[in-house]
Amino acid sequence: MKRRHLLATALAAAPLALAHAQKKTTIRWWYHFDDPQATPQALVTAFEAANPDITVQAENIPWGGGADYDNRLYAAIIAGNAPDTAMVKFNNQPRLIEMEALAPIDNFVDSWAARTDISDDLWKLHRAPDGHRYYLPVQYVVLYLYCRQDWFAKAGLKLPVTMDDFTAAAVALTGADRWGFGLRGGAGGHDHWASLVLGNGATLTKGGLTSPAALAANRAFIGLFTDKKAYPPSAPNDGFVQTINNMKAGRTAMTIHHIGSANDMQAALGDAITAVPVPRGSTGGWATFGDGSSAILAQSKNREAAWKWISFLSTGANNVAFNKLSGQVTVTTSGGRDWAMQPKRFLDATTASLPMAKILPPSAQTADFTRTVWPQTTQKALLGQVTPDAMMAGFEKLYFG
Amino acid sequence: MNRLSLPWLLLAPALLATAILVLLPVGETMWLSLHDVILYRPRSRPFVGLANYAWLLTDTDFWESLGHSAVWVIASVGLQFALGFTAALLLNRAFPWRGLARGLVIIPWALPSVIIGMMWSWMLDFNLGLFNALGMRLGLLDAPIAWLAQPGTAMAAVILAVVWQGFPFFAVTLLAGLQAIPKEQYEAAAIDGAGTVSSFRHVTLPGLAPVIATALLLRMIWVANSLDLILVMTGGGPGTATQTLPLYAFLKAWSGADFGHGSALAVVLALLLLGVVITYAARAER
Repeated sequence: MKRRHLLATALAAAPLALAHAQKKTTIRWWYHFDDPQATPQALVTAFEAANPDITVQAENIPWGGGADYDNRLYAAIIAGNAPDTAMVKFNNQPRLIEMEALAPIDNFVDSWAARTDISDDLWKLHRAPDGHRYYLPVQYVVLYLYCRQDWFAKAGLKLPVTMDDFTAAAVALTGADRWGFGLRGGAGGHDHWASLVLGNGATLTKGGLTSPAALAANRAFIGLFTDKKAYPPSAPNDGFVQTINNMKAGRTAMTIHHIGSANDMQAALGDAITAVPVPRGSTGGWATFGDGSSAILAQSKNREAAWKWISFLSTGANNVAFNKLSGQVTVTTSGGRDWAMQPKRFLDATTASLPMAKILPPSAQTADFTRTVWPQTTQKALLGQVTPDAMMAGFEKLYFG
Repeated sequence: MNRLSLPWLLLAPALLATAILVLLPVGETMWLSLHDVILYRPRSRPFVGLANYAWLLTDTDFWESLGHSAVWVIASVGLQFALGFTAALLLNRAFPWRGLARGLVIIPWALPSVIIGMMWSWMLDFNLGLFNALGMRLGLLDAPIAWLAQPGTAMAAVILAVVWQGFPFFAVTLLAGLQAIPKEQYEAAAIDGAGTVSSFRHVTLPGLAPVIATALLLRMIWVANSLDLILVMTGGGPGTATQTLPLYAFLKAWSGADFGHGSALAVVLALLLLGVVITYAARAER
């Protein structure tokens, strides 16, 4: 009798158990960290413990300079197999909006208690041109100028504040087997150009790239290589690895990067290296804002669960843990208070650069500009195959026709 | 089942696989090349006819890439053949540890292209590279050279890397061909008074001719299509100094998300190679 009762109870409970099992939601999350060894498993485990009805399927997608990641995302969207949520950047937002691939998160953000822990500056930067919010900040960096402060001291130079300081230092610190500035002439080097040209007379408005001030700034930028020989001869082809290695090996006195490489620099050079905001030119300076955000894809049928996951990543200690993996800076005010991931002087240079933090316009042309047009045209100008003015005319044509 | 349909039935699985794996992608690429296809505009894919091909005619990058492809294929295959033939002749002679030497020579061929590209990039690195270090120590260079950052040396550098990678193919293939030439022919030539040069000219070369022709055709197709080494070592730069046609098609389609123009470039490359492929197929048929 007892056994029969148990069996009946079990049978009655089975549909309930099944329904419970079916309610468990699985969300797919695409991510990328510069360090391929970094794994978000601890964060996933902590989230799943707090949200037992949600499973996070974390998928590490190859970056490939951004093109691999973006094109895989576009292809997945076209194939109807997009993840529920993915790490994204400003430069692919126009394309994703054009594809109607993003789900607005305004309602989620408005009712999110932790939203005040992210600064208004960041929220402002993360609002899309159509007025909606699609991106939730999860990490950021602002590019700054690395300087060999021991070389500056020995040469009796002050660390650069203005573009004139920078140019004088780049020339003065160039000598036998060393160069004043480590230019990244390969892919990704548009950030260097932006700081030294868009921050010094050029503007991204119609005619702003071919104005006399813009042309003069670009001539000075190219001239530091062709006339002053202040960049290494390998600069036209140098990428991230070469510019960082040149700095660490004591081949260059300055270069532009962000806090993500600070620990490496500190390990190689100790107190001989420091960082300051990029030099201010006639247009007030340009420190490229390197964003990293989370977005929910419009195809997702689990938007609530996806929001829970991405908001978890952008909250206080979780965001600090996330940025330990990404090597970038927390977007939360609470997390920033006790930041100890890198020596303080590098964080100071990052925060001091925020007032001139800027991004290239969120337009479809920007992706072409950064991936192919900028490196190919700039390399040709550095090698004397096109003039600096023709280089700027090409950029003006790309952006403004 | 009649005698005519049986062969087709037996061939059907292979024909079906070929249709799905080869003809379908080729057809899709040709179809894409007739449309304006931007990956991030999936709802807009207008038919543009031959407009993408007309654009090629006026695109200076296309003509430049075509020229670079010609230099890349002729220099790479020519040098690989010369080096591979020399290695095959040496490995065909008796000497101690010949078996080991034959094994070692295949190593570059066995390595993945990406590894080879990175390895040569480091050897040619401006600051840390072996070439500059050796050149400076031996007094051959006054100052280090940025091999991959100058248009004059970048193409030579990537060709050097692909020659190193590809010469074992010729060495092994031609060695097999050398061993297939009957010894009696050399003995007969010697009896007729032929020396080393005459034997090479009248026995070795005619004996190897079919193998040489097939190996050259195959390698031309592979080298003309390959872009991985260049992509890793220079990305087509500095500027567009090492941008070949397949790399241009790849960058257009993948980095630029412009599959219409990218497909047109790929179709043109395929048509250019068709002559080589037909020659190879005709030889294989014989």
